[in-house]
Amino acid sequence: MSKHRVSRRQFLSYTLTGVGGFMAAGMLMPMVRFAVDPVLKASEGGDYVATKQKVDDLTEEPKRVDFTIKQVDAWYESEETQTAWVYKDDKGEIVALSPVCKHLGCAVAWNTDKSNPNHFFCPCHYGLYTKDGANVPGTPPLAGLDVYEHTTKDGILYLGAVKPHKGA
Amino acid sequence: MKWTPNEVDMFLQAKEYVDTALIPLVPVNFAENIKQSASMKDFTEILTLEIERQFKGRIMLLPQLAYLSSWDEPKRLELAADWARGLKEQGFAHVFYITSDSEWRVNEQGLEGSLIWIPSIPLEHLEEKHKRPMIDDQVRQVLAIFTRKWHD
Ligand code: FES
Repeated sequence: MSKHRVSRRQFLSYTLTGVGGFMAAGMLMPMVRFAVDPVLKASEGGDYVATKQKVDDLTEEPKRVDFTIKQVDAWYESEETQTAWVYKDDKGEIVALSPVCKHLGCAVAWNTDKSNPNHFFCPCHYGLYTKDGANVPGTPPLAGLDVYEHTTKDGILYLGAVKPHKGA
Repeated sequence: MKWTPNEVDMFLQAKEYVDTALIPLVPVNFAENIKQSASMKDFTEILTLEIERQFKGRIMLLPQLAYLSSWDEPKRLELAADWARGLKEQGFAHVFYITSDSEWRVNEQGLEGSLIWIPSIPLEHLEEKHKRPMIDDQVRQVLAIFTRKWHD
């Protein structure tokens, strides 16, 4: 008898591993896809979301603007409220800053620290940013606040993807 | 930070900045208050997630601690105290409990950590657009409590 004949036991174990592996892949694939999906979605970008903010009502004083985005993860479709700090700079251009502190992600707010007026302040470890979103050296954050892309339609402010801060 | 694998990674890298633990205390009651009990759980969850979102870098939000409303006081206090002690051993300088269950106010001094008590709002009766300002308002009040404690 040839030595290469596959014994019954070997045959079974080969095929079962094969089937098992295939099944495992079948289970893993969808999980991986679900896990990756939201990320892919987020990077599609280019989408602007309407806020309730009238552009004409914006001033040079940063104002908190909330807006809702639909978020889909593997289990739930939910609405997530996001915030931007929005104002017009001295050239009249709209600036929309992300409130997420670049240190460890707490929410910053405008003008809430009495000893540092007219700054964005992070209550967690006292991070500071100037009005244009640049981080104040010597405080924990190592980068400026992210900036929302924005556009205007029918006098209403629309916000899009966040971009890293481009220096001062 | 939340108790999820990703955020725990972040926690391990930034441990010295995360000095505050937040433990939601949630009663479970199957008797006549069953609906209210479920509504409290919902409210506490939404509120604590929002607190976490705004203070991600300094607060670790722990999983909800559930107990039966029928538990007597010593048993409840022991549960809470065990957690607070364990967390302090892990290096958390501040341990907060947050709850809508007014039972905890009876013996506040008996607790190892600080108690934040917030009356539950039955969010299921609110319109979507009213929920957000409501929660924001509560978060602001809680912020004041945290900052006071952090400045001590
Ligand atoms: S998270 Fe803002 S300073 Fe640390």
